[in-house]
Amino acid sequence: MKVLVILQSLLNVIKKELSQTMRDRRMLSTLIISPVLQLVVFGYAIDLDVDRIPTVICDQDGTPRSRELAQAFFADRTFLHSGDVLEPGAAQADLEDGSAAAAVIIPRGFALLVARSDAPEVQVLVDGTDATRAQVAANAASQFLLTQGIGTEPNVQPRAAGASLAFRVMYNERLKTPVYMLPGVLATLLLNVTALVTAMGLARERESGTLEQILVTPIRPSVLLAGKCLPYILFGLVDILAILLLGNLIFDVPFRGSFGVIALGSFLYLFSTLGIGIFIASFSASQQQAMLGAFGFMLPAMLLSGFMSPISSMPPWLRPFTMLIPMRHYVEIMRACLLKGAGTGDLAQQMIALAVLGVGILAISVARFRKRLT
Amino acid sequence: MNRAFRRTMAIAHKEVLHIIRDARSVYMALGLPVVMLMLFGYGISQDVDHIPLSVADEDRTPASRRLSEGLVAAADFVRVEDLPSADDAEAAFRSGRAKAVLAIPRGYGRDLGRGLPAVAQLLVDGSDGTTATIAMGDAAGLVQATSSGRAARASLTEGPRVRARFNPGMRSAYNMVSGVIVLILAMVASLLASLTIAREWERGSMEQLFATPVSRVEIVVGKLIPYTGLGFVQTLLVLTLGSYMFDVPIRGSPVTLFVSSTLFLLAMLGTGLAASIIAKSQLVAVQFAMLVSYMPVAMLSGFMFPIENMPAWLRGLSMVVPGRYYLTTLRGVLLKGNGLDVLAGDVLALAFFAVATLALAVWRFRRRLS
Repeated sequence: MKVLVILQSLLNVIKKELSQTMRDRRMLSTLIISPVLQLVVFGYAIDLDVDRIPTVICDQDGTPRSRELAQAFFADRTFLHSGDVLEPGAAQADLEDGSAAAAVIIPRGFALLVARSDAPEVQVLVDGTDATRAQVAANAASQFLLTQGIGTEPNVQPRAAGASLAFRVMYNERLKTPVYMLPGVLATLLLNVTALVTAMGLARERESGTLEQILVTPIRPSVLLAGKCLPYILFGLVDILAILLLGNLIFDVPFRGSFGVIALGSFLYLFSTLGIGIFIASFSASQQQAMLGAFGFMLPAMLLSGFMSPISSMPPWLRPFTMLIPMRHYVEIMRACLLKGAGTGDLAQQMIALAVLGVGILAISVARFRKRLT
Repeated sequence: MNRAFRRTMAIAHKEVLHIIRDARSVYMALGLPVVMLMLFGYGISQDVDHIPLSVADEDRTPASRRLSEGLVAAADFVRVEDLPSADDAEAAFRSGRAKAVLAIPRGYGRDLGRGLPAVAQLLVDGSDGTTATIAMGDAAGLVQATSSGRAARASLTEGPRVRARFNPGMRSAYNMVSGVIVLILAMVASLLASLTIAREWERGSMEQLFATPVSRVEIVVGKLIPYTGLGFVQTLLVLTLGSYMFDVPIRGSPVTLFVSSTLFLLAMLGTGLAASIIAKSQLVAVQFAMLVSYMPVAMLSGFMFPIENMPAWLRGLSMVVPGRYYLTTLRGVLLKGNGLDVLAGDVLALAFFAVATLALAVWRFRRRLS
């Protein structure tokens, strides 16, 4: 009997929350359309394969041999020929004003030295202000120069003998960025839809005093919170479905694992993010504080989740903290399940961590919220 | 004129009181940049190392051990476990224990001894593409180095031939500090501004404001002033910490830095105010502001993802992202020592966005109650 009453009041709160959200068309588009839009832009933008680096050539030698080298330099699309200059100084100027990001300087006498099997010095300057691109440009350039045999005596080493290493990339053979970034993007977008929206929503109710009004009704605080949160789990699940579908259609993100694993992981993750939202709301006196608090959590969480830079390369003191970030476990689950077809057995550790975090955060925040209200 | 100024200042004063009274918000607004900078600087290195490696050594000869130990000794790899056979690689990847598996087949040492080609395999987990790319690059360099003395010399002497200009160590901190400034200013300025006017609508205090002779422009400008001040404090904070902790230089003219920072702040505040005016509810306004200012700055400014790599339509879209121009001026001033002569175009673009967003805010601002 009592259970029925509780269930009834829970349904009522959900209905109220849903109709309130659905009535505001802008809110609805915030929850559903905007995450999908962001995914599409993000998916196209995060193509991290650095290529088409604008490169200026300073060929002081001007021989067929040096021209050949310059031409070969642009053979793959890593570098893009942006212009020719005569003096190294002009090449530097191009780097300074940003019209080129790399410069190749072929010195006078280059062909002569090559003909004598001597070691000519070809200089490559890269613009280091963009470290990622500079790294790629530098690596590609030195690889190229190595294969051209410049700087060392060419053709001395027999290629066949000796040790060599064959590479095989698994699960994402062409190393396409959107494929492995999508789980992280999904986790971030869900964090926004659940944590930020609940934190601000609860803070708004407190600001306007409607929370107190509901509390004088026989609805229990925990039922009220559950009723306010469940609709967002629903929106979150809709987002997940939409994003996985679009990710598969546009960016060829595979779906190799089982649906059950995805559903379980997503549920656990959404519980923890909602818990974080309530936790932040329990500290906030205004929507402004809730917003800042939510971002104060979201931004570091994004960085520590390992989706932008691997956790294994973080300093040792920082690594344990990442265990406390639900996003980290969720990203691992999604990557493993979508790309590698991992099952619950493989992911037991991450699932347990997520469950513990989810229940823990939710319990603490509900307790805190109750105390604040009564 | 004098009266308009006084009214604007009164609004600004009211907004300053709002900010100061809510000390917790100020702490968070100032603490967040510091936390971000620390995380980006100390935690998030773009230099991938300590890649967890499993070794499936089916050969078990001195030569195979030399290969696996050489790979680990390069410090980029950390040996996490030994697998009995290469068939176990999948399980190691699925559970996430290893990001790379070195599989050395039986006969590797024998072939090497006979001068025959000996091929070991490095399997990398493509579900973490960043690590996979770095792992392959590192391993390739290393194997070349261990397989023959000549190749080792070649890869060691590549250093002086390829030099990074302006940022000789290619330190990600240099790139990072300018990026964090752009990101933080975009976020805090636009999001905080997006709350201000919506808040007045929600609380009903907008009606009271309309009962006074204050005009739309005066409200917008009055709200702008305190948040511009807050933005300056943040910029200074990140710049000071950046140069103190990460030795980021300021090589160019401080005036250019000041002018472009102001213009960028105004553009971000204008975007936030416009979002606030259009949305009329704080929750929706924040989402608007995030969608039109913070997200584009994070994704399309060129901080995290190089613009040249984007498809043409996104490159076009990035032209209307003010953060892109601000990032160029920041990098130019801080690292290259550029002045207004080089950066005039970017500064002009920033000025355009500042004027355009503020004009949009004022234009959409109706002095009437719906």
